[in-house]
This record gives sequence, structure tokens and C-alpha cells, in this order.
Amino acid sequence: MAKAKNTFTLDTAPLEGLVQKILDLDGDAREAVESALEQAAETISDDTLDAIAPGNLPAQGRYSTGATEASVLRDQKVRWTGTNAWIPVGFDFTMPGAGGYLITGTPKMAPVAQLRKMYKQKRYMADIQKDITDVLEDALIRAMEEG
Amino acid sequence: MRDELIEILEGLGYTAQLQGSLAKDEPCPAAFFTFWNDDTPGAAFYDDDARRFEHEFTVYFYATDPVLVAEMMSRVRQALRAAGWIVQGKGYDVPVDQPTHTGRAIDVIGIEKN
Repeated sequence: MAKAKNTFTLDTAPLEGLVQKILDLDGDAREAVESALEQAAETISDDTLDAIAPGNLPAQGRYSTGATEASVLRDQKVRWTGTNAWIPVGFDFTMPGAGGYLITGTPKMAPVAQLRKMYKQKRYMADIQKDITDVLEDALIRAMEEG
Repeated sequence: MRDELIEILEGLGYTAQLQGSLAKDEPCPAAFFTFWNDDTPGAAFYDDDARRFEHEFTVYFYATDPVLVAEMMSRVRQALRAAGWIVQGKGYDVPVDQPTHTGRAIDVIGIEKN
């Protein structure tokens, strides 16, 4: 997962060959690629919201104002740069209260473990990437059958 | 690996402690390290057992002197690589809740053979 200026992004760059094959077979297949990324982004949004539920926050969320929840990105649209499709996920770091501190922690506050698992461990994003790959492989098979 | 990491970091002249472990009412030192273990996956499996473990840490450095913060990750990188650690990149800025300090972090991996 790449880190854009003010947010994380999920993209298809590691799957460039697969995306190119799908688009070569079916020029209208962009929708399938976009749908795969949007589904993955929705999963990340839901998991992020679960991770910042009051019980997971420092002091059980007693000091939470709701600003962190408001900064979680939802209903984002896929953008294209050439054959690379990408979508912003996670937090909008331009908003006050965005989850930066919760992911990194501070000297006086431990990071939120669930957010850390999502945004720092390789396993969570590897699983997300696998889901995207599965959806795109299905799209490729469909495009080959229809072609 | 955690003890080895602390020893290497403290060898650079600043204390190293777990991220979040500084007491709320305790003043921050002028310059110090913190660290956090993100994961410790097994690797190189043979006979259903991991032959090694990869201790994935994030190392943070906070200081009142931004010049020191900017240059410290190169020293961390050099010291850890000399001790056989894998160092990913040259670090990145991290937010700090102390107006007097700035901070940078770097992701490192210590390999433990099983």
C-alpha cells in the first residue's frame, strides 16, 4: 500500500500485467477493475471503523471527539494513471483528529493495536491484495470466455 | 532481538524505550529513541517449522533539535546494518504530541535463527 501526500492508497501497480491483459481483451473491463478496488476499499473502511471503536482507543475512547471517525475515508472513487488504478483508503490526514497518532503512537501513547495490524503489518494488506487478485482473475476468465 | 535492538540504539548515546511507555506527567528527554514490535512472522519453513523469525520493529527518534532528528536515521541505519539487521529505506516523519519535539521513524527487521 502506497502512502500518498495526505492519505494511504490502494493500487493495482503490483498487478499491472493482469490489468493490462483484462483491458486488452475487453476495453470495457475498467468497471471490473474499479469494482475490485472499491470493494477492497470498503473492507478497509469497515475494518478501520471497527479498529477505532471506543473500546480499542486509549482510555476506552473517553477523550474521543468523533473527529477521528469523521476522517475515515468512505465511498471513494477509483482514479486511473495509465493502466494503474488506485483509490485512497484509511484516513484523510488533512482533517483534524485523523488517525496518524493512533497508528504511530507517541512516546506517551501506545499505538492502537488493530490499526497497527492493518497499516503496518504486511499480512492484512497481503490478504486485501489477494482478494483483489482473485476478483481480477475472475474478470480475466470472463473476458477470455466472452472474447 | 528486542534487547539487542535496545543495546544498539543506546550505543548511539540516547535511551531507548517502548513506544507509549513514557508516563503522562513525565517530561520528555531532549532526545530519545522509542520502538514498537509490529510483527514476528516465521520464515524459511522446513518440516512444518520456521527456520527463522523476522522481528519487525519500527524505531522512532524524537528530539528538540530538528537537525539531530534529520541526521539520526542515517546513524541508526549504519549501526543496525553493521549488526546484521535489515533496514528498510531511510526513514519517514512521524507526528509528535510534544510541541517542543520533532520525530522520525524507520522500519527495521532483525533475523533470529531457530
